[in-house]
Amino acid sequence: MSARLHAVSDGTRPAVEVARLRKTYPGGIEAVRGIDFQVAPGEVFGLLGPNGAGKSTTIGMLTTTIKPTGGSARLAGFDVARDPVAARSVSSVVFQEPVVDKALTGRRNLELHARLWGTPASAAARRITELAASFGLAEVLGRTVDSFSGGQRRRLEIARALVSEPQVLFLDEPTVGLDTRIRYELLDLIGGLRGRTGMTTVLTTHYLDEAERLCDRIAVMSQGTIVALDRPAALLAGLGTELVELRVDHDPAGALAAMRAHRLAGGDAFAVGSTLTVPVHGSPAQDTVAALTGLGIHAAAVTTRKPTLDDVYLQLTGSKLAA
Amino acid sequence: MTAITTVPAQAALTRPTARPRGLATWATLARRRIMLSAHTPREILAPLVTPLLFALVIAPALAKMIPGGGGYSTFVIVGTVGLLIPLTCTFAGIGVIVDRASGARRELLAAPIPRSLIVLGNMAVAVAVSLLQVTVLIAAGRLRGSHFHVTAAGAAWFAGAVLAFTVFMYAVAEILANRIPTQEEYVGLTPVVAILPWFLAGSLFPITALPGWLAAVARALPTTHTLALLRYGVLSRGGAGLHDIWGLHSTTTDAALSLLVLAGWAVLLTAASIRVFNRSAVN
Repeated sequence: MSARLHAVSDGTRPAVEVARLRKTYPGGIEAVRGIDFQVAPGEVFGLLGPNGAGKSTTIGMLTTTIKPTGGSARLAGFDVARDPVAARSVSSVVFQEPVVDKALTGRRNLELHARLWGTPASAAARRITELAASFGLAEVLGRTVDSFSGGQRRRLEIARALVSEPQVLFLDEPTVGLDTRIRYELLDLIGGLRGRTGMTTVLTTHYLDEAERLCDRIAVMSQGTIVALDRPAALLAGLGTELVELRVDHDPAGALAAMRAHRLAGGDAFAVGSTLTVPVHGSPAQDTVAALTGLGIHAAAVTTRKPTLDDVYLQLTGSKLAA
Repeated sequence: MTAITTVPAQAALTRPTARPRGLATWATLARRRIMLSAHTPREILAPLVTPLLFALVIAPALAKMIPGGGGYSTFVIVGTVGLLIPLTCTFAGIGVIVDRASGARRELLAAPIPRSLIVLGNMAVAVAVSLLQVTVLIAAGRLRGSHFHVTAAGAAWFAGAVLAFTVFMYAVAEILANRIPTQEEYVGLTPVVAILPWFLAGSLFPITALPGWLAAVARALPTTHTLALLRYGVLSRGGAGLHDIWGLHSTTTDAALSLLVLAGWAVLLTAASIRVFNRSAVN
């Protein structure tokens, strides 16, 4: 084994190191604009953002299918641009779209992955048996994948990525397009991966409940930059303990401006379409609701509730009227 | 922006990293392609229908039209190699498009392997299938009464030409498969790439029978060099095709030049196909 491979064994190096990472596509489209983050070994890290935020490009650069145009990224110490084969050897990806060979059996797919990742045959056989049992695939592993149900196929994709015991696992929107029951099954399964030999997980998702449930920390991306990075609880704390949500069909921007002028809304209030979301700090939310009547704002609906990660997400990525 | 925090390390990165070896990886990729394209009896037997048909039916039937045409049957059977290999390689290229469309290519791209091996693994299977077809063609032709004059040197010229031409044709197929967006458009190109050159390359008649300008075009075709080399390798007095191309006094020199041309095309196009694959697969 080379000295470079030994470099990952000091136990202190982040599993993922991203520094000023940038991708500009031909034509000048800046998909990722110099992002920085680190992921500790064993951590579950979420990348959130709307379509076009740069999540997929970031994952593409980390998995060496997209070439960065600036900055650097390392997986377990291996630079993805300078040593891509080594970087790939310590990682696996569960792609958003199916990538297994449907004409082959589940077992063949797992064996192929193990061979391509250089897993010794005996270890691969043992892991395949273990994974098939723990993922509920033992009965179907000898069948061709085109006969699998959607849930079985998705579980096979995840099992495939785990056969090589990666140090870093990328899950790119792993539950998108699945029905609710299968989605919850998979969330349990992904949540159970946490204890697996200290594996680091980087997850992209549109579903905020997934991120809140699974991730130690979350980076919210918007327009190629990271606009927030923290633990889910810390992100939620930024919006206070309660918020007021109003639906204003006519001139929501004017309504928000009026609330700000009367100090009923702060800089963290935001509007998405006709819905205004107003975090309340230091006073009961009902006081804000009561004060609204004096401003002449005609709200079709007013509710008070606790903030969720959706509010954080919308504030950071969709608050076009709040600036 | 919310403050960036870090989480203390929860687990150390301690596992040694296994990495596959080049030859084993190449074999794995070739095995995958075989499992996908030649794992049922039908998929194994179907590629043998064309060589059997040519050797047992078409070549003898064409020979009957020529008085004393027994030699012509052998001439056509060898010429059939120039059709079989391009068809096999072109159809093998469809696997590249299927991999791309089905998403399977992404798994291969994420693997810790040199990406050139993905191309070379597919190429190995195209070479193996082509060799099987050529073997069946020659064996069936022999059974049907064709006479081949095989020496060790001749067999080497024959094998070298088959190998170089197959590599060249698969590289062409790989390039096209990575450049053409849809399977339909790709299949539409098959006659132009795989069949048209065969008619011009001395498969059914010597290239000297073509109009002068077309004969000049034929001399530049790799298929022409291949067929000339194959006939030089296994037919008695089979060097006429080489002489039609080069016109030198030494047939051995003619053969060496044609093999050099083929090998050059094979190496050049293989390098180009790997480059095109990488550019197509990695943004």
